[in-house]
Amino acid sequence: MTTDVATAVLLPDARGVRGLSTSRVRGRDVLGHVVLLLLSFVCLFPVYWMLATSLRPPNAIFDVSLWPGTASLANYRATLEAIPVVQMLFNTLVVSSAVTVIQLVTALLAGYAFACWNFRFDRLVFTLIALTWLVPFQVVMIPNFLLVADLGLLDSLTALIIPHFASALAVMLLAQAMRSFPLEIVEAARIDGAGSWRLLWRVIVPNVTGALASLAILIFISTWNEYFWPLLLSRTAENTVIQIGIQMFMTEQGNQWGPLMAASSMASLPILVFYVVLQRQVVQSFMKSGLR
Amino acid sequence: MRLWRLPLAPWLYLAPAALSFVVWVYAPLGRAAFLSLFEWNMLPDTPIVYVGWANFANVLALPKLWQALGNTVVYMVGLLPLSVLIPFAVALYTQDLPARWRNLYRGMIFVPMIVAPVVAASVWRWLLDPGHGLVNVALKYLGVGPVGFLTDPGIAIWSIIFITGWKLVGFSTLIVSAANAGINPSLIEAARMDGASRLGIVWHVRLPLLSSTALFLVTLSILLGAQWSFSTINVLTNGGPLGSTTNIYYLLWDFGFSSLSVGWSSASAVLLFGGFALLAFLLFRITDRYSFHDN
Repeated sequence: MTTDVATAVLLPDARGVRGLSTSRVRGRDVLGHVVLLLLSFVCLFPVYWMLATSLRPPNAIFDVSLWPGTASLANYRATLEAIPVVQMLFNTLVVSSAVTVIQLVTALLAGYAFACWNFRFDRLVFTLIALTWLVPFQVVMIPNFLLVADLGLLDSLTALIIPHFASALAVMLLAQAMRSFPLEIVEAARIDGAGSWRLLWRVIVPNVTGALASLAILIFISTWNEYFWPLLLSRTAENTVIQIGIQMFMTEQGNQWGPLMAASSMASLPILVFYVVLQRQVVQSFMKSGLR
Repeated sequence: MRLWRLPLAPWLYLAPAALSFVVWVYAPLGRAAFLSLFEWNMLPDTPIVYVGWANFANVLALPKLWQALGNTVVYMVGLLPLSVLIPFAVALYTQDLPARWRNLYRGMIFVPMIVAPVVAASVWRWLLDPGHGLVNVALKYLGVGPVGFLTDPGIAIWSIIFITGWKLVGFSTLIVSAANAGINPSLIEAARMDGASRLGIVWHVRLPLLSSTALFLVTLSILLGAQWSFSTINVLTNGGPLGSTTNIYYLLWDFGFSSLSVGWSSASAVLLFGGFALLAFLLFRITDRYSFHDN
């Protein structure tokens, strides 16, 4: 089913072109556009409003005109002065890149074990890995917190990375991608005397780059957006990620709307720009993961 | 198939991932079960006292727990219109649009999915602000409000559900559209030849073929919906007003890191894990049984 749907995502026309063009169909089309435009508006407007508010001069923050008359970077300046935004963005980038690389490597190795070997308890181990997907993070948060504290890693970037050392989803997706790899080639390489390590990097990896790329997108974006684990661990602004920084502008005493929207914009822009450039690939990698 | 003779090889490849799951998932599960029998406030120099089942008894006697469980059910069910019903309606209604247009819409409605939960929460906090938020400004213009979207105990939970659903609605719509577009056109053609009406085709052909997609989306929102709400709750309401937006996941966090009661949090974690596993098992059984497979 996954491949069917993935094909449909890639080739929306796969179901064939119909030659209907009666006026009744056109009327339906118009209503269809209305429905989708409405949904698009609901989905996009909050993002637009965030950017628009962030660009308003501080004295016009409560202005409700849809187009900000005079653009001002004052909110961004205020944000940069209040919290170490650049450091936080850099931290977020470091954590997200590290988690992406580490999870791809661990999943590649584990997926290889499942795809190219039969070993005792292989199905049991695979099931146990798949089941970790079902453990809500809140159930293990205290033991994980205590473990990080015992290691003396509270308030460090390392602690934000290590619990994400491996991902069940990545292991399952890569094992699946490698299983569809023709075994004759593996067999031939083995007869030629290639070791399994060399075979993995020389033959298998170049053939699963598509799956690797789409997983990389998914892992990077999810890690960039992560909030809960950093919330538990972070103590100082210099050692945390941008998601925690945003929160600093919302307090019991009141909200600094301008800087809040500026911080939110700065946290989202890297991902939004990435999305605009690679829209098709991003949508596809999320859908692939969601269709399992 | 055994490609290389060395029996240890697969285990070596497996080791990094497997070790990680043992250290960060399975051992912690055991430790949570262990801690659920003790009383402790997480400070290294305070003693850990064995209290047996007392934590379970105490937690189960708390009205707060039952309120949170009730709210969890509201989150799970309340999310379904945005995560399943509307996506189905939109996807089926707009299936005939030209591909070029559908690509454009797809790009737009997917955006909330990649917006960080904290960003989504802060933007909606701004839009829903009782004083100057755009939604309340518009309502005032219509002579209504201001509505305390996040401060009225009867409304706040629905605002949180809406924001959680806002992130999901486009993604779910794309999943349904993709599955719908993947239906074999000859089945539709056959039904048309038999004189089925448009609605008849949707009802008797498309919907049965899409049942596994529907069950998948229902499973996803029931199992993960309440968890996804966590960031939104923490940023917007802290579980209030009067506990009206606290779900079981938020309660665990509250016990553990606000009240610093490791025993209570762990006991509720064990209960939650049991209930969650049972629910997951049931949903997967239902999915296996009732999903209708094409080919």
